[in-house]
Formats: sequence, structure tokens, C-alpha cells
Amino acid sequence: MKIIVIDNGSQWTHRIYRTLRDLDCDSIIMPNTSGLNEVRDADALVLSGGSMRVGKDSLEGGNNDLFLKEFTGPILGVCAGMQLIGKHYGSKVKPSIKPEFGKIDLLVDNFDDLFQGVPEKSIAWASHNDEVSELPKDFILLAHSKDVKIHAFKHSKKPVYGTLFHPEVQHTEFGEKIYANFIQTIKR
Amino acid sequence: MCIFLFSTEKFIKKTSEELKHYDGKAIIAVSGGVDSSVACILVHKIFGDRLKAVFVDTGFLRKGEITEVSLKFKKLGIPLKTVEARDVFLKNLKGVADPEKKRKIIGKTFIEIFDSEAKAFGADFLVQGTIAPDWIESGSGIRDTIKSHHNVGGLPKNMKLKLIEPLRDLYKDEVRLLAEEYGLRKDLYWSQPFPGPGLAIRVLGELTEEKINICRQANAVVCDEIFSSFEKKEIPSLPWQYFAVVLDSKSVGIQGDIRAYGYTIAVRAVEATDGLTATYARLPQDLLEKISIRITNELKGVNRVVYDVTHKPPGSIEWE
Repeated sequence: MKIIVIDNGSQWTHRIYRTLRDLDCDSIIMPNTSGLNEVRDADALVLSGGSMRVGKDSLEGGNNDLFLKEFTGPILGVCAGMQLIGKHYGSKVKPSIKPEFGKIDLLVDNFDDLFQGVPEKSIAWASHNDEVSELPKDFILLAHSKDVKIHAFKHSKKPVYGTLFHPEVQHTEFGEKIYANFIQTIKR
Repeated sequence: MCIFLFSTEKFIKKTSEELKHYDGKAIIAVSGGVDSSVACILVHKIFGDRLKAVFVDTGFLRKGEITEVSLKFKKLGIPLKTVEARDVFLKNLKGVADPEKKRKIIGKTFIEIFDSEAKAFGADFLVQGTIAPDWIESGSGIRDTIKSHHNVGGLPKNMKLKLIEPLRDLYKDEVRLLAEEYGLRKDLYWSQPFPGPGLAIRVLGELTEEKINICRQANAVVCDEIFSSFEKKEIPSLPWQYFAVVLDSKSVGIQGDIRAYGYTIAVRAVEATDGLTATYARLPQDLLEKISIRITNELKGVNRVVYDVTHKPPGSIEWE
């Protein structure tokens, strides 16, 4: 199984690679300017976070939009990656009224696939200035926090997921479980 | 919960094979820390006499570190050349207060020394113990620069030496597994990461010899007390990293009925695994008190100690 991590410039892009590798999954990191042909044969994509300000219409999104349009396998967007998904599906991404830097309480609303086996309340780590301000059409809310109402979502028909917090960092309590669950969606 | 699949055996085998493809001589920049020591052993096994280890005394090292490092390499049976460069570093950094500029000047000064050592030895390659967070935090392309690590961000564009960085994809916890595999002795210096620029980035702002000395002593107190607390089983384990920072502002105090206007020391201790995220360590109050009393009593010019209670993010582990 091969998962391509699309690098949007996050400090934790390589940490996504490592988490997938530790879960016995072949993983490679590719720049977000890669062509569709270079990523087409992957079993899934993870769109990393990055310092781009999606909420301020940053132009550093590379080919993420193209991947979201054409790639048919499972996609997980993390932080800025999630915001790019939100935007692609017609929602608004805005600067957060209360940005979160570091430790947060993650509150799960839907345990269907990504959060299977994750408790209703757990510790997660976030680091964001922007957020998806409303749920895009056809999307289901998966998790929230005290200050951010959409911390994770999924598409109701396609295997497209997003988390604003970072499941790949060591201090997110159930982060590895969330990636393991994402890998399960490929096998379906 | 953690499914850990890093295999030291596989890594050593694969990397050793790759190292066999290099012809010619190399020098390795060692700091005595775990990353460069592991890189050194790994490359030395393949290169043998074609590798020369160079250790630079920047003047920003910890108390007793030079002796410690010399002893360690003697035990490993790898010849080590120590280059004394205190004056050069201090001169190059004179009047510089900006943390990024400091880091870049330090990186550049290191490279100048390695260049001249390589020339003398006839080496084409420079081996470094660079690990993943070093190049991640140094930024490039669309990745924001958090801090320029001396071994990445300070490298000149027209560098003649070719780099060999066998640990580039690894994190600290993985390098530690390799260190164990090589039977490296565990001691105070091994037990925690120490940045290449050393105490120079633990003295905030412009460097002076006075502040560097205060910093060195304060770091020794923090290490002593935390280590002795661990030996007495007052804390269950050593924190991932623990140190002291000299702040660049002064505060008012009272020492022996006399108004004191002195430096503030920030003590930082964190828990982490890979260093990309960290929590501040919840050290016992009694231990913090001991550290505070010793620092304010033993160090001239210091009248206040604060404890850093910031996770990473938003704080980074080191202050600069």
C-alpha cells in the first residue's frame, strides 16, 4: 500500500511520513506542485498542513485543488490541508477568532470511521491561524473543540476527510489510531 | 499504542551499503552529542582511516564538556582533533543580537573551520549528524524557517565540501536506539540534546563573556540538581531536555539588604520524544526551589529565576 504525503510546507510533514511508516505503510513525500500523473497511482493522499494562509487566499496551494478534483482514492487533509478541502468544496475559510497553538481538548461528534476507538474527549495538538468557518455541502461534522466548531469533517459520499488538529504529532493522544483508521478506509 | 517499526539492524545495513559508494576522504563534525557520535561510528566503520573527526571548542560549550568529549572518543577508539576557536566565534558575533543572524554566523564560522580542516586532511566530504528536525525547522521553499540549525541554515551556497548526512531521515528517539545498539555509554551529556551553537543561543541577544559564563554555571546547576533528584528517585525519569537561559533584561531585587539590579535566568525542562512537539516538564516544587536558591546565591549578577511553562507549540524548546 502506498500513501503519498503532499507537502504543503508543514513542520510536521515528515512526521506524517513517519507515522505512516510506523504503521507499516509505504509512504513518500512529494511537493504540492507535483503533477497529477505523479500521484495517480497512490492508494491514498494526505494533504499536509503548512504556513500558507488559506483564510487570506494564499497562492501557495499548488496542485491541491487539482488532486481534490481528479484523485478518486481516499484523501486526508490536515490543518491547511483540511482548509483547502473546505475551500474546494465551496465553503469559507476564515482567520480564526480564537486560533489554537498547542494542546487542546478534542471532542468527537461522530465515531463512524476516522474516530473509531477514540474517546469522546481526548488531548490533541493544534497550531492554526485559520479554520473552515462552515461545513461544506455534503460534509458531516466529526469533531470540535471549545473554540473551534469544525475540527474534523468527512464527505458523506466520498472518502475525503479533514482534521484541523494534527494527528501525526506524538502529543496527540490518539493520533496514530486516527491514521490507522484512515488506512482502513483504503482497504474498504 | 505506539507501533514502533524502526529497525536499527536494517538501517545500519542499508546505510553502510550506501556509504561504500564514496571514494576519498571525509571529515566529520562532532559535538559529543548523540547524533554526530552515532554518525561518526557509522561512517568510521566503513571509512576507517579515511575519516577524521573534528571537534570545535566554540567557547559556548557546557562545563566540563571538552574533557568529556575527548574521553568518549578515546573510548570509542576514534582519533579526535579539537580545534580551539573561542576568540573567532566571539569576534564574529560581536554586536549581533538577532537570533537568526547569530545562528547563521555560527554556522558560517563552523564551515570555515571545517573547510580548512578538510583541506589539511585532503577530504572532499563533510559528514554531519543532521537529523530530520534540523532541516525541517531550517525551512526551504514553502516551509517557514523556524530557526536555522547551524548544520543546515548556516551552510554557504558555494560550499566546496560535499555533504554526507546518514541520519537525515531519523528523529532523536531513533538515533538513541542506534546509540544503544553501538553500546554508547549513558551519562549526563548523552541524556539530552544540546544544540550545535551551544550556550550562544541560551544567552538571549548580544553575547558577552560575562553572560556566557553565567549561562554555563546556571546550566551546570540545572543539570546537577535534576540529575541528583533523579538519582534520589524524587523524579521517576529525566526530562527530555533541561537547561537555563540568560534573559536580556534585568530586574530589581534585594540581596543582603542592598538593591540588586541583575539578570534573570529562565529554567526550561520539557518532555518529548522526537522534539517536534513537547510539553513543559512538571518538576516538583522542591526541586525548582533548590535550583532557584542555588542560582541566585552562587551566581554573581543574577537575582531572579523563572520557570518556563510553555508547551511546543507555541513555544520552541530552545529560546532562540
